[in-house]
Amino acid sequence: MAITQLPSTHEGERRMIPMGRIHRPRELAHDLDVSGLVDVENGLIDRAIFTDQRLYEQEMARVFASSWLFLGHVEQLQKPGDFFTTFMGEDPMIVTKDKSGRIRAFLNSCRHRGARVLRADYGQARAFTCTYHGWSYDLEGRLSSVPNEVGYENAAWNRDEWGLLEVAQLDTVLGLVFATWNPSAPSLDDQLGDMKWYLEAFLARDSEGTTVVGGITKWVLKGNWKLAAEQFATDWYHVNMSHASALMVLSPTGTGPKKEIAETAGRQYSDLHGNGTGFPVHPKSRFDAQPVHQHYDYDALRERLGEARVQGPLTTGHATIFPNFSYLPVNGSIRVWHPKGPDEMEVWAWTVLDKSMPEDVREAQRLYNLRTFGPSGIFEQDDGENWSEIQAISRGWRTNTLPLNYQMGIGSESSDGIHPGSTSALYSDAAGRRFYQRWAELMNTPAWHEED
Amino acid sequence: MADEGILVAHVQDIPDGEGIKIDADVLGTVDDVALFNHAGEIFALDDTCSHETASLSEGWVENGVVECPLHAGKFCLRDGSVQSMPTTVDVACHRVIVSGGDVRVVPNPARRAQ
Repeated sequence: MAITQLPSTHEGERRMIPMGRIHRPRELAHDLDVSGLVDVENGLIDRAIFTDQRLYEQEMARVFASSWLFLGHVEQLQKPGDFFTTFMGEDPMIVTKDKSGRIRAFLNSCRHRGARVLRADYGQARAFTCTYHGWSYDLEGRLSSVPNEVGYENAAWNRDEWGLLEVAQLDTVLGLVFATWNPSAPSLDDQLGDMKWYLEAFLARDSEGTTVVGGITKWVLKGNWKLAAEQFATDWYHVNMSHASALMVLSPTGTGPKKEIAETAGRQYSDLHGNGTGFPVHPKSRFDAQPVHQHYDYDALRERLGEARVQGPLTTGHATIFPNFSYLPVNGSIRVWHPKGPDEMEVWAWTVLDKSMPEDVREAQRLYNLRTFGPSGIFEQDDGENWSEIQAISRGWRTNTLPLNYQMGIGSESSDGIHPGSTSALYSDAAGRRFYQRWAELMNTPAWHEED
Repeated sequence: MADEGILVAHVQDIPDGEGIKIDADVLGTVDDVALFNHAGEIFALDDTCSHETASLSEGWVENGVVECPLHAGKFCLRDGSVQSMPTTVDVACHRVIVSGGDVRVVPNPARRAQ
């Protein structure tokens, strides 16, 4: 399904927000200069970016308010009135199909006193009614019913101005739904750039497209959201160490994979939009779950996606689309790292499946993903432990003021003539440096809503 | 024949657990009429909720009541009587005759348009 831009995208068609004399004093917003916290040239990061409440608030107002953020998969919405709820940063969102079948995303907060107008995770609605006083909104976000509306007759009351707030732009790519509050954000395709070539290796294997296993797995972790987003962008380095026990259990010998498997060389892509992905490169690159491996016709995939993608980003690897959407092609895992204050995140994870997969292959991939990267998965447990460990000690004064090392592969970014864009060796902090470079750029630039 | 009502729908037009709206002009009534299918039995009530302006035909049908889609006020499908807050006023009901799959409505005399 193709989404064109929403009415709300266009200047002059966005609904007015009555402001009266409301004008927030500038002092309430932060304008901290982070150029001394992120040193990309020398590969150093100040730990305050993971712990400071003021930086966190600035991050919400500049990074999250300006960027394209992941909402869900198009298959979560089938008919008009189907909805699911999620977050953009810390903002609660309703994602629904309106009466014309178009995907819309609204802030899930009543314009009257601010309560949520929808409490469910997903379902079918004919209207969104606040349970506090009963203001009711239709599927297009218009305020359609106000109990005792006669009471507003002396106010500057125009019901059209009190609809649910809608995102500025919404678009889909390969079945993934993204939106942004930023009316002047470059297109989603621009944000992806060369990253789309790598994303296609995951989501364009099947001409029929992808679907998702019903439901979203959600769990809470101690740890700043960037620890997870950064790792999925840039970190293959941790695999043999952090996941040693899991790799041993999965190996035929019980002592771990052979040297040529465990130490397969690969490439890591990064770009100035903050996206990153890394993957081993191997002529016999394969899916791990046996029924999934048997399902795929690798020659047909070579024809469809090209040799370089089949040997690399098709299977084992990691990826982050800036700022907080990540995925693992071999598991079909997609996830969003919802920020919950500087010290906590919520992980929301789905299993993506090719539509043409028969039921037994779908079930095999679902179980493989759940057992490796579900909330109790043998790999996911290792990662969560690392992030929570880092966060738990990071408020010590001496700990917090010691810069962290992001120097691996510094200066090694190049074009290898095989993989689009700029790549480095698989073991590299290149994508991490560029993730924080983009973060710092947004943090130091007044956002669209700060312009007078 | 007038007593036998006005043919407005076929049973299969109304999915089980849902409602459809019949225009007031068709029935000569002051309000549109909502037809509901509750486990195969057809009921007819005034369509507009007595609380705020909402179409009961878009409501949720279960346990012998229709729940308004806007503020969750409930009305008995059989007689239109109020079953829950926030609504406080009954809605009118109309007699329904089903025969051979045809659904006929006999408009409530108190709700006939002049």
